[in-house]
Amino acid sequence: MRTRESRASIWALLFLLALGAASARADENYFGYSYGTETLPKGSWEFYNWVTWRTSKGEGSYNALDLRQEIEYGITDRFQASLYLNERYHAIDGVGAPADRDQFGFQGVQVSTKYAFLSPYKDLFGFALYAEPGYSRISKGSGRLQDQWSMEVKAMFQKNFLDDQLIAVLNISPEFEVGKKKGERHWENELAFEVTSGLTYRVAPKWYVGFETRYDSTYEGFPAETDRSAWAFYVGPAVHYDAERWWVTMTALPQVGGAPNNGTRSAALNLDEYEKFELRIKTGFDF
Amino acid sequence: MRDIDRALLLLVAPPALVLTALPARSVEYLSTQQAQHALFAEANRFEPVSIALTDLQRETVVKASGTRTKLPVDRIWRALRDDQLLGHLIVDEVYGKHEFITYAAAIDANGAVIGIEIMDYRETHGGQVREASWREQFRGKHSGDALELDEDIVNISGATMSCKHVTEGVRRLLALHDVVLKGR
Repeated sequence: MRTRESRASIWALLFLLALGAASARADENYFGYSYGTETLPKGSWEFYNWVTWRTSKGEGSYNALDLRQEIEYGITDRFQASLYLNERYHAIDGVGAPADRDQFGFQGVQVSTKYAFLSPYKDLFGFALYAEPGYSRISKGSGRLQDQWSMEVKAMFQKNFLDDQLIAVLNISPEFEVGKKKGERHWENELAFEVTSGLTYRVAPKWYVGFETRYDSTYEGFPAETDRSAWAFYVGPAVHYDAERWWVTMTALPQVGGAPNNGTRSAALNLDEYEKFELRIKTGFDF
Repeated sequence: MRDIDRALLLLVAPPALVLTALPARSVEYLSTQQAQHALFAEANRFEPVSIALTDLQRETVVKASGTRTKLPVDRIWRALRDDQLLGHLIVDEVYGKHEFITYAAAIDANGAVIGIEIMDYRETHGGQVREASWREQFRGKHSGDALELDEDIVNISGATMSCKHVTEGVRRLLALHDVVLKGR
């Protein structure tokens, strides 16, 4: 019952955010999951608020909210740094594994740096590299307490067409993680390998509409083990709207394929490690 | 307070706090009349010019300029001192990241740029295109000149998209002038 109330609250809030977004403003974040290759100009600040809603394991009731506040600063015109603070909420009821939970807590912190080597406006395509070390104390899937250290690297590509009104991006992101669950002694290694891409078009002043894809996979025991242990693929629409003082980007991603499959949950999707549906809303505020 | 309420409060509070601290941005720097007098200080009257492009003329301009943006056929004026033609003033719009950038270009009777002015700039970043030293680079440019960033126009780091689109816009107006306005 409690998770049903939680889900209703989450729906209501996402609806309000969507309405609030009707007065929003935009910069380079045309997508919820994929990054463009531009960096903030030297001396500029930007504040971001992220919310990602993940829902449905195909059994019982599963809802998770990943919250993130980010402050970003342009150190030079090509080099920027960010600090992220993260919180996580889980409302799990009757799923079996993971266990029931209704819990909110501080999840962790990351810092990132990004350097733009090529500009999509001057060069054949845009290219940037990104590095993000971080610490997480709440497991993404189960909500269990943990100690996890990670290092994510991203290679970002961007190509603009039609007077820069049609924008295509591709991100390739390996992330190495080492961690242990609370109460356990054994540290475990894992490689998460993600590829995201997006295509969006400026359909009217202030509005970009397109779609995004996301492939996510895990390699448990890496580097000793190199076999892929799980993967999922998502495709969905992306909308970006810019208003006078802030901007908003929304991407909705239903999972369209994944493995291995837990037959009682889905024959075609991986609903053990991943969820059936994700929705991300990012709002940005420029200074 | 329940955990879900704490999560939702944290979700809403940061943007609400930041929003109250943000300054307004949208700025109109020059009206059309102000741009006319800034670029043609000697002119004592401005006559609107109405042009209708043939398909061939339009294709020639697009080919010469390499851009697809709508041509400003209804925002052109002849700048006159008594009956002497000093040149043409054209008000144009190019794509910013999210809004249009409105600017005016003054082109003399021989087809050379006298100057440009940024009239309306609504983007968050890249407003350095308003700097006089950057705009000064266009003075004397003719149709047929490259008008390319990092070639004959210096880019401003951190304002690349605005620099690129304004540069392409001026190239387009010079092509339009060359094809339709020269001698009119």
